[in-house]
Amino acid sequence: MNKVLNHLEEWLIAFLMGGATMVIFVAVVHRYASGIPWPALQDWLLTINMSWAQELCIYMFVWMAKFGAAYGVRTGIHVGVDLLVKQLPERIGKKVILFGLLAGALFTGVVGTFGAKFVWAIAHTDQVSPDLELPVWIVFLAIPCGSYLMCYRFLQVAWGFWRTGDLPHHDETHVEGIDDPADAAPVPKASA
Amino acid sequence: MNSAIIFGLLIVLMITGMPISIALGLTVLTFVFTMTHVPIESVALKLFTGIERFEIMAIPFFILAGTFLTRGGVARKMINFATSMIGHWHGGLALAGILACAMFALVCGSSVATVVAIGSIVLPEMVRAGYPMRFGAGVITVAGSLGILMLPSIPKVIYAIATNTSIGALFVAGLVPGIILTTMLCAVTWYIARRRGYPRMPRANWGARWRAFRESVWGLMLVVIIIGGIYSGIFTATEAAAMSAVYAFFISVFVYKAMPLRDTFKVLLTAANMSAMLLYIITNAALFSFILTDENIPHALADWILGKELGLVGFLLLANLLLLIAGNFMDPSSIILIMAPILYPAAVALGVNPVHLGILIDVNMEVGLCHPPVGLNLYVASGISKLGITELTVAVWPWLLTMLVFLVMVTYMPEMSLWLPRLLGMM
Repeated sequence: MNKVLNHLEEWLIAFLMGGATMVIFVAVVHRYASGIPWPALQDWLLTINMSWAQELCIYMFVWMAKFGAAYGVRTGIHVGVDLLVKQLPERIGKKVILFGLLAGALFTGVVGTFGAKFVWAIAHTDQVSPDLELPVWIVFLAIPCGSYLMCYRFLQVAWGFWRTGDLPHHDETHVEGIDDPADAAPVPKASA
Repeated sequence: MNSAIIFGLLIVLMITGMPISIALGLTVLTFVFTMTHVPIESVALKLFTGIERFEIMAIPFFILAGTFLTRGGVARKMINFATSMIGHWHGGLALAGILACAMFALVCGSSVATVVAIGSIVLPEMVRAGYPMRFGAGVITVAGSLGILMLPSIPKVIYAIATNTSIGALFVAGLVPGIILTTMLCAVTWYIARRRGYPRMPRANWGARWRAFRESVWGLMLVVIIIGGIYSGIFTATEAAAMSAVYAFFISVFVYKAMPLRDTFKVLLTAANMSAMLLYIITNAALFSFILTDENIPHALADWILGKELGLVGFLLLANLLLLIAGNFMDPSSIILIMAPILYPAAVALGVNPVHLGILIDVNMEVGLCHPPVGLNLYVASGISKLGITELTVAVWPWLLTMLVFLVMVTYMPEMSLWLPRLLGMM
């Protein structure tokens, strides 16, 4: 169950990231390609309306941000000011970290509930987004869903920390592919 | 009074070590529930609309482009080109490392990515050529911070969003200071290398230089896309960022063939993870500044600062000190999101150009990135070089000092930042 959720989360945010990039790329290419007077092709290009691209990109990224933030809890990328906590004796330090994690769960839980109420209220209106004309409540659904997922992730990390004392740690220094021996092949000498 | 409570609460929550985004959000919630009449609904709405701006979307695109670039072999070609140009001077490889950082910084908006991309190639190479690791790691840690000064830069985008300044002007404004800093870092390196007799590379002939240039030109073309595109109005900053992400993907996979196509998913996921973290801080910082503005705190603080009659010189000094201190606790994005809205009104009232203020903040962030306890460049360089943080902290001294001198120059010589964007008519 958790495994499925993890994969779903990863696929969703990677897809949104790539998708939003493609949307903007296609929109820009389309904008300039339709300005070139190729016979027949131009007429066809001009019939395609890409004005919704910006809006779609924004929505995709907002969704990515909400679910990516939840994924980030799992990967430990959300950093705080941990100077003082590190100085504390281990027993107290552990409690403070646990407090921080539960505060995260509290905040995201409250926000999720706000969001859910808000979506509920707006679902009873017929508001639609300006360009895509999507019902607004679907767009805003990112807040409750993302926040509740994030809340769940905080609880999950807190539970794991309480039991094992391990926190997920995001390693900035490790970059995929850079550390491969094949990659560390010598730079050709300047004179070569 | 309210401002004392808000900032006090924020600081208390932050020192417990919880994520800064959560600390910001909880401060807002506590304040809204207990002390104001701001309707909760408007807070919920702000959670969505806080990042619902197309300009902000430049951040994930630039992160994606940067992730492709670090993996894509662009860095190696730039190092080869730089080495062929100045490798035969004293401390040639170190100089080439700085120059390569500067070139990479022209196309990449993150200093950590710059350190990783250049450092992981140039450091082993320097050790093999007979340099002490400490020297190389010191150079690259500081030179990597050029990543957020030259042209595109994520902190600049964040500043632009927080203060409604032109992104294009900020990008271009960093170019001249970036070149000056590169020169200063090179001069210091050259001097140390000459005194200690570090090895020089054989001089490359012009044919080799031309070949090296031609190989690196694919990466350098990104400058044309980003700046040319924004300047000529072909696309907006966000679109330029998206185009550079697509372009970086293309050259990494098909031109330099340094990244197999199947890794795309991993790159997307890494970039999404980083972007979502930043966007989450931005969302909550937007909430925070919404509350600040609602309580009229930035203007009250600005009036208070102006009432001190510090004058321009004193104010800029104070701003630098505040930012340098903040650099000991937080990462650049959080500092800018919290401090820029506070400093901005006072600065503008004193006649400081917003673009100049942006570059000033940016350079302060560079300094913060290169020293402990939170300097990310330092940690990354330590990861690559396997040197301890303490040792590396000592190693970066000569260049960090250079950077502080440079900071004073940037602070009190606004023309350095403003000349180019004015010349291009971007502001």
